[in-house]
Amino acid sequence: MEPVKLTAKDYKTSVPIVWCPGCGDFGVLNAMQQAAAELQLPPENLMVVTGIGCSSRIAGYINSYGFNSIHGRALPIATGAKLARPELTVWAAGGDGDGYSIGTNHFVHTIRRNPNITYIVMDNHIYGLTKGQVSPTTPHGDVTKSTPQGNPERPLNPLALALELGATFIAQGFSGNVKHLRDLIVQATRHEGFALVNVKSPCVTFRGRQEFNVIREHGAYLDESHDPGDWNQAHEVTQWTDKIPLGVIYKIEGVPTLEGVAAEAQRKAQEQRAFKRAEELLEVFR
Amino acid sequence: MRDVTLAIAGSGGDGVITAGDFIVQAAARKGLHAFMLKSYGPQIRGGESSARIRISDRPIYSQGDYVDFLVVFSWKDFNRFLDEIQLRKGAVVLYDEADTTPPEEFPIDKDLEVELIAVPFKKMASEEIKVPLTKNMVALGVIAELLHLPLDAIKDAVMKKFGKRKPEAAQVNLQAIDLGKAWVNEHLPKGTQVMLEAEGSGEPKLVMTGDDAVAFGAVHAGVKVFAGYPITPASPILEFLSKWLPHFGGSVVQTEDEIAAITYAIGASWAGKQAMTASSGPGIALKMEAFGLAAMAEIPLVVVNVQRVGPSTGIPSKSEQADLFQAVGGTHGDVPRVVLAPSDVEDNFQVAVEAFYIAEKYQIPVIILTDQFLGERSETVDPEVLFARKRVISRQLAKPSDLKDYKRYKITDTGVSPMAVPGMAGGQHVISGLEHHEDGRPTSSGTIHQIMSEKRARKLPLIAEESGFVRVYGDENAELAVLAWGSSKGAVREAIERAQEEGIKVKAIVPQLIHPIPEKAFDAALKGVKRAVVVELSFGAQFYRYLRAYYDGLPKETYSYARSGANPLLVSEVVGAIKEHTAALGSLQEA
Repeated sequence: MEPVKLTAKDYKTSVPIVWCPGCGDFGVLNAMQQAAAELQLPPENLMVVTGIGCSSRIAGYINSYGFNSIHGRALPIATGAKLARPELTVWAAGGDGDGYSIGTNHFVHTIRRNPNITYIVMDNHIYGLTKGQVSPTTPHGDVTKSTPQGNPERPLNPLALALELGATFIAQGFSGNVKHLRDLIVQATRHEGFALVNVKSPCVTFRGRQEFNVIREHGAYLDESHDPGDWNQAHEVTQWTDKIPLGVIYKIEGVPTLEGVAAEAQRKAQEQRAFKRAEELLEVFR
Repeated sequence: MRDVTLAIAGSGGDGVITAGDFIVQAAARKGLHAFMLKSYGPQIRGGESSARIRISDRPIYSQGDYVDFLVVFSWKDFNRFLDEIQLRKGAVVLYDEADTTPPEEFPIDKDLEVELIAVPFKKMASEEIKVPLTKNMVALGVIAELLHLPLDAIKDAVMKKFGKRKPEAAQVNLQAIDLGKAWVNEHLPKGTQVMLEAEGSGEPKLVMTGDDAVAFGAVHAGVKVFAGYPITPASPILEFLSKWLPHFGGSVVQTEDEIAAITYAIGASWAGKQAMTASSGPGIALKMEAFGLAAMAEIPLVVVNVQRVGPSTGIPSKSEQADLFQAVGGTHGDVPRVVLAPSDVEDNFQVAVEAFYIAEKYQIPVIILTDQFLGERSETVDPEVLFARKRVISRQLAKPSDLKDYKRYKITDTGVSPMAVPGMAGGQHVISGLEHHEDGRPTSSGTIHQIMSEKRARKLPLIAEESGFVRVYGDENAELAVLAWGSSKGAVREAIERAQEEGIKVKAIVPQLIHPIPEKAFDAALKGVKRAVVVELSFGAQFYRYLRAYYDGLPKETYSYARSGANPLLVSEVVGAIKEHTAALGSLQEA
């Protein structure tokens, strides 16, 4: 008998969706469900870990083991889960506030450890759940509820930051192009190591519907002339100011993963001496 | 003397702690009981440090109030420990003759009539061994000879440490030890300096620190993922597990911060493996939000707090019992949690085993409230006592029948719901820090919040009735009871014995389970008690106030003996409190 082929529908849940009509995150949800189907991931073997924010609710909307955790901590929870169960697929997700502000420390150090997980950031340049404050990726000068005189700070560039930190897979998608985003998530999941997929996912309520048009207008899909294996080229792309790069910006395979290194440490330790029972350790104290 | 307390004081480079370690190991090999408390200043290297070692043929419960035998490399360094090292009348004091401080300026009370002996530690090490750093080993030879510790046991310990890695260093050290021994025989009158007359059982004992014991206990309990961030005095737990957990197929991560450490553990436990994190007060404060997440999401989790002096940075290298409120009440919301407190090194192991048992059985976060005094001291331990607790369990998973129309937070009589972990088909669900329905869906309904608060809290009375968490020492029928917790048990237990020797009827009640309060066991232990005194090292009398707030069964006449930590609790001060309350009890009866 042929195994039943999983479709995007198999990754839907009955949890009511709280997002505003027209929210960019719907496109990301569709892309994630389609990517899971494309990868034929058994739902029970998929973990979706998020932090706090509008987008972090996505953990409940995908048929999987979902964990809508606390603000900024999606990455360490996802990494801990991957370390415990390296055989399963782990997706971490959340917003720009969650990942690039309160969770920045984890973003930095997760990249250094290179666990084989995919991190999907729904970057909308605003704090939506708390109704419209400035975020770490809000453009300089923009008026928000907490910057009535205009944002005095320059925005953080997550792509450039990830590249400098040695991330092994960096991509950027647009929630208005689900098919393209689905392909990025599929490639990110297949990548052996930490994969960042930053998604331009507009907040229609606090930044307006025109955000979709801005991204459509400035979005530049990377074509064959871009070599994701070329760090310098990737760096140049992350510095674009007039265009928004879309596609796989950088990718390098063969960098050891956190759980791979841990498995190797266990193998070496057990080769030297495998303990079955704790009592065997008593001799250390003699 | 069958019970000797020795102190060695010097600067960091003097090798004080190393010498102390060898003495403890030698005593352990002889089957004696031994106990070593390290004390050091804030400097990383070169600061003052002291080792306080007690050796006896009877079980040792505390560091000993008075020092019988003192070795001083430098009076300047010794001055820093005046607070901690109180000499017994007639104590023997050896000092390095290289220190030029004139005898009239020695910081020792003349009334103590100590026996002062100048020893050329530095000179012998420099001129005869030609390695000045071996002066601690010369001192070790002198001490061993005076205490009648077997030289072969000391040499075994030295060989164990240096033999394989640095055979040359081992030889030099052995020579220095022999030199010290010979100096005693040549320069001191024979037979008069034999101080330790205790014979060991001959059955070698193990030597362990409390930090190692709690880590080792976690290994026995089945921990598979540990995440931690360096902090005094909890780092040895991270180091022990980094070294040994891979041998058991587990993983350790030193994370970027305290929050990452606890959230790694939460992620690993949620994914199906037993997990733990450890820190000290400041780090625990940072972890508290995530601790609440584990409680809300009902994820088994063990968090170790090796308490140190607070608030804030406090005194990182010294002990206190003032994180009790943080443990029982820290973080926002009504958070069902469990707090366990070990009271000696063996207990650190046992309590780690029990912590995992409770965490896994009840799907609840557990705090192990140990402290620097337990964590960094070395103590001889009995392996049989370590492994006495048999409650080692694995993850309790949902049964296949639970997975039909699966509800992660199903309302049950015990409050414990079937737990499906990733990989189990049909068990998919979402969990969160948000209040939720039985199936995990978020809700903002006040009615469901009430129902779920009741469900989570239903576990607590069941945990309070788990057996074996309250110990009673002394006279069971006594009308006076001392209530103590954690590392205070040592001085309290010894004080009870001393008071009993003086004919005072008193008992001590020491719970391992602090929260929830094991009420029935407390009621039984307090039966017939007319007066109680709660002894602790917390300036704010946190244990006293906690018992007052959470437990209705205290005798009406319940008092507090509380002071701030840093200096260990003394047996004599507890005996003083016992006597005071015994007298008050007498007048109560007369009235």
